[in-house]
Amino acid sequence: MTAIASSPQLATHTRKRPVDWTGIALWIALAVTALLWFLPLFLMFMTSVKSKADLNTSAMWALPGTWEWGNYADALDVGNFWVTAGNSLLIAAIKVPLGLAIAAACAFALARIRFRGARSLMLLIAIGSMVPIQIGLGPLFNTMLNLDLLDSKFGLILPYLAFGIPYQIFVLYGFFRGIPHELEESARIDGSGTFRIFWQIILPLAKPALAALFVLDFVATWNEYAMATTLLRSQSNWTIPLAVQGFSTQHGTDYGPLNAFIFMSAIPVLIVYLLFQRYFVQGALAGAVKG
Amino acid sequence: MTTVNIITQGRRKRRPFGSQGVGTAAPYIIPALLLYGWFLLYPMLDSIRLSFYQWSGFRTETPTWVGLDNYKRLFTEDAVFPTALLNSVIWVVLSLILPTVIALLMALGLNQKIIGRNVMRAIFYIPAVFASITVAAMWRWIYNPTLGFVNQLLEAVGLESWTQSWLGDPKFALASIFVANIWQAVGFSMVLFLAGLQTVPEELMEAAKLDGANAWQRFRAVTVPALRPTTVVVIILTIINSLKVFDLVVGMTGGGPAQSTQVLALWSYTQSFTNHQFGMGGAVATVLLIVTLAIVIPYMAWSLKGEDK
Amino acid sequence: MRFKKILSTAAIGAVSVGVLAGCSGGGGGADDENTLVLWSVTQETTQRAAMDAIIADFEEANPGTKIELEERSVDEMKTAMRQTAGTDAGPDIYRYWQGAGLGGELVAADVSLDLTEYYDEYGWEDRFTPTAMASITQYGGYHGVPFIQATEALYYNKTLFEEAGITDLPTTYDELVAAADKLVAAGITPIEFGGTVNWHVMRLLDSIIETKCGAETADALNTGDGDWSAEPCVTEAFTELKKWGDDYINEGFMGISNDDSSQLFFSGQAAMALEGTWLNSQVVDNGMDPAEVGIFPFPTGTGRLYGFGEGLYVSKSTDKADLAAKFLDFFTSDESQSGAQGAWSPISANKNVTPSDTDTLAHYWVDMLADSTGLYVNNDQNFSTATTGEYWRIQNLVLTGDLDPADAGAEFQKFRDANK
Repeated sequence: MTAIASSPQLATHTRKRPVDWTGIALWIALAVTALLWFLPLFLMFMTSVKSKADLNTSAMWALPGTWEWGNYADALDVGNFWVTAGNSLLIAAIKVPLGLAIAAACAFALARIRFRGARSLMLLIAIGSMVPIQIGLGPLFNTMLNLDLLDSKFGLILPYLAFGIPYQIFVLYGFFRGIPHELEESARIDGSGTFRIFWQIILPLAKPALAALFVLDFVATWNEYAMATTLLRSQSNWTIPLAVQGFSTQHGTDYGPLNAFIFMSAIPVLIVYLLFQRYFVQGALAGAVKG
Repeated sequence: MTTVNIITQGRRKRRPFGSQGVGTAAPYIIPALLLYGWFLLYPMLDSIRLSFYQWSGFRTETPTWVGLDNYKRLFTEDAVFPTALLNSVIWVVLSLILPTVIALLMALGLNQKIIGRNVMRAIFYIPAVFASITVAAMWRWIYNPTLGFVNQLLEAVGLESWTQSWLGDPKFALASIFVANIWQAVGFSMVLFLAGLQTVPEELMEAAKLDGANAWQRFRAVTVPALRPTTVVVIILTIINSLKVFDLVVGMTGGGPAQSTQVLALWSYTQSFTNHQFGMGGAVATVLLIVTLAIVIPYMAWSLKGEDK
Repeated sequence: MRFKKILSTAAIGAVSVGVLAGCSGGGGGADDENTLVLWSVTQETTQRAAMDAIIADFEEANPGTKIELEERSVDEMKTAMRQTAGTDAGPDIYRYWQGAGLGGELVAADVSLDLTEYYDEYGWEDRFTPTAMASITQYGGYHGVPFIQATEALYYNKTLFEEAGITDLPTTYDELVAAADKLVAAGITPIEFGGTVNWHVMRLLDSIIETKCGAETADALNTGDGDWSAEPCVTEAFTELKKWGDDYINEGFMGISNDDSSQLFFSGQAAMALEGTWLNSQVVDNGMDPAEVGIFPFPTGTGRLYGFGEGLYVSKSTDKADLAAKFLDFFTSDESQSGAQGAWSPISANKNVTPSDTDTLAHYWVDMLADSTGLYVNNDQNFSTATTGEYWRIQNLVLTGDLDPADAGAEFQKFRDANK
């Protein structure tokens, strides 16, 4: 907007701002895309409140004849929702903070403490963060078997930690390296030891990155399927993803309750995401990109 | 300023005292290394080791050494392996093009202050919050041949001849799964691009505008260079994630029909746990590992070189 | 400073170890002394109710005991059993198919407990029919307890057959195809299958192979060393399979599961279903009038009936074998099985249990069994898992038109030769 255009004192017809047709067109394109993206979620919800008769007769996008909220009760019951959600929550509640702590400590050491082999170690960890889990599933199964930790929620946390840490170290490493050394030096001059520096100076500065990683890790842990399906067996130990797949294969034709279960299974993560959304965007800006 | 910076360590003249040596570092790195080594590194290496053996996986049987036999069988006799390899490669290539470009466009669009921006951003990101196995279940329902949305819509608008068995026809199955992948994958890349767009220097933008550059020229001259670090990250994450694809295929087709949607990660799992051939499974896993490293390492090296101007 | 660092490291370590040690949760087999874990395939209403009833009766008669029933879909069941083989994570009792490729595979992997001592103790051998016992002793020793003697045939919708003008039930394969043609002419889908669960369409392929190859050759191909690339009947069979897929099976079958496709039969949109004795109760559960339904054997011309057995096996890794045996004795007793009113199968594996009066479709099976000269088994129970996977792959490739039926046999034999 240049300054020349608006001179209201001129007697001529006021120059209106030209209609930004491109802008409007772009907005419409975005809005349509957003609607498209929202469609599957809408359809899922629609299906979850329909009765079997409705599904067989009316179109998927039509409003239900009767609002079958009973589907949700069915889903809770058949899918053993509370038990599996409890399992997922327990695992995430332990794994996420613990993993972040371990990763932060390691990233700190690699970034701020000078020692031989730090660089190679960082490379090793970086490479490890890039390989797919499925490569090691067979031997992982055997390792857990030998530790007698198969079919155990707490046992599952160990490989979860192992697979979550490399990426977090990678991100936090980049973040920590960007912190000016003057801060650390002045603290040392004041007599702080390494731990104090870590805990009170470096770590608080990483809050945005930590918050972003927290959200990412919680979501990833909650949604993990491959390792859970290999290492967990009895249905009382199932996590939510296993329950969704089990529901889908065992009661695949109960579309109403199935979609209700899917909807409910995503609620906890949705809540966490929405709550921490703000930090996530900040953190992505600060940490992930820098990393 | 924002660099992917793991190798570049300037030599320092003044060493901060008290913060050097393995001894100091040890307590911080040991828990991570222990977990990493035992539950990630060791299984990976063991997979490679197993690829030289034949083993059913049952505890009662001991593995027997077969040398390169598994690899020979993999490349000459395994009828599914070529499909799995091809599909994995196709998946990576398509992932680098479609979801990435869409995500960039979304980010550019949402970077302006427009009405409903936050809502739209949330809508685009929320699919990423769902578990892949859940996305699979949702889309399987959408693709249902009789009651599913796609075919119902086609029938409703009179395009009944276009209805297909989206997940049951080898011609369409992989593409159908990939559509679900796009739906889920754009969110995360979009957020990264959005973050990266915040680093575009305002002054340069203004200067370009004053110089009379149009939108496309501004994009090329100012935005693209500023987005380079972000793009590097997006690309590497996309590659890694697309090589990992597993849950989506398991949930939507199980690898079928006729193993036409098999991918390396799933075929390795199938050989090991379903067919009880851990040696073959290990061989497929090793191939996947090699493919991953072959793509990732050169890319990392190239991007780092570009950074050290 | 240093102290704090050591302290916090130790704390993390201690917490982790404590958490792990205190709650390592052991195996899936229940910790409680008197709880048995039982794994089964997912069952529909009547069958599930029958099983629950017997379990409840047992718990009542034996206070303090508990039976935990876990159900899984067919494929999940197979995966779960294979994965827990040799570990502590398996169940105490598992319900499984008795064929060599499934139950036999687990016996070979040392998963099943030899129950010889319990057969002596409880005198089970006198309880079951010779056919049932044959499946138990086929691997040497006594593995599992007979549960279901399932036979498979063609269920058909009488009304739809009338509509199409089919007056006589097909007794030869050609008559069956003619009947299918009549149904197509009347605008009715002749038969339904769900392609995503491979083993459903497989039943059709198995039956056609039996038809085109005859009993002896079919046995050689399926359970012996027969050469799939050398027998012309193999090509004929795959050609016929393609024809069924193109002309007679419900449209889009490759993309739906057997649950989805069965709905077509239950709702009268498909005239036939190639299913087994379990469907007797399922047709009722799904709202069909049993008087509308009839059953006739797939006209193979060999006189053999399609079928397999399911047994209840005890895991070798269980530490409650005695309790498990006691439960199995109760479960398979004449009282319990009669009480179940043929929920799982109208023909019982027990000698002295007669078909239920309330099951109006039971007599079909009795008659068919009486007329048959033997059984041919589903191939996914004959082959190893890997071979089954290849069998299904080729079956599906032929159906989608990506493999010429003339090449199918050779392709399959290639795999068999490579995996001898």
